[in-house]
Amino acid sequence: MNRSERERAALAAVSWTPTIARILLGLVLAWFGYHELVRPSLWTGYVPVLSPTSSLATVAVLAHGWVLLVLAVALIGGIAPRVAAAVAAVLLLEIVVSLTISGGLSDLTLRDVGVLGLAVILTGANQGRLVLTR
Amino acid sequence: MRLGTESVGRWGLVVLAVTGALGVILAVHGWSVRSTDLPRVTLGASRPVSAPRTTQPPAQGPSSPAHSPSADHRPLLRAQPYANVAYEVWPGTPSAAAKAALTGLSVSVRRQGSALVIMAGVIGQAAPTPRRYAGGARVYVVESSLGDDSGNTDYNLGDDALVVTDAKGGIIQ
Repeated sequence: MNRSERERAALAAVSWTPTIARILLGLVLAWFGYHELVRPSLWTGYVPVLSPTSSLATVAVLAHGWVLLVLAVALIGGIAPRVAAAVAAVLLLEIVVSLTISGGLSDLTLRDVGVLGLAVILTGANQGRLVLTR
Repeated sequence: MRLGTESVGRWGLVVLAVTGALGVILAVHGWSVRSTDLPRVTLGASRPVSAPRTTQPPAQGPSSPAHSPSADHRPLLRAQPYANVAYEVWPGTPSAAAKAALTGLSVSVRRQGSALVIMAGVIGQAAPTPRRYAGGARVYVVESSLGDDSGNTDYNLGDDALVVTDAKGGIIQ
């Protein structure tokens, strides 16, 4: 591989990496959003303060799932991806803090810290390819 | 439309609006099935165990309650949507999957005549109140997702439940 090919590969990586990263983050959010919407009662145990069997906890899970689904589509479709990543980062920060308070630091919590890091990076990254601006 | 440094065009808004509408439809569906997922029983709550009734025939076997009218109409565990995530924890030694499902939970079972007396709760919380299941033969822990368990902690008890069945597999309420 000569120098110009290496530079071209580096440029391709620079332009495609944010796209791949936001699609992967979007898939994570889509999976959780969908499952929270279709089976909210399985997720109410994560709602802080409220009783898992309360209607309010179910409503909170449904609202959370709805936001995750919209953010997922925004990230995957490249619709204001940095704003979507910023909102996702706030949601993930809340999840990390909540899990840490309820169960301390664990593999589960730190896995979410990694996803939070991805969202934070995407907040400042260039938009990359496949962005819907029209 | 501008959102900070980014702009959202007409098609972007259409896609988000369609997604939002789809989300509302899914949420309505989720709300309608909110009480049909897992049995809303157990893990420390409710009816305390009563002392054994001395008027019962001492030779009454575990299967005899299954002949009562209520026992004949018990819903079968194998017919429930959560049957594939119900792990048998008693009798016998729990499987590896059952042990994983028990993460963060404390379950003790003892036989009392034809009934099972079960103490099921959450590790680190107040001692659970024993419950008596007349005609109980098997005990299962339902765990929809093992991914919420870490070490000795179950982060989401909303997808956990305890199910006791009679010898025919009927769920004892």
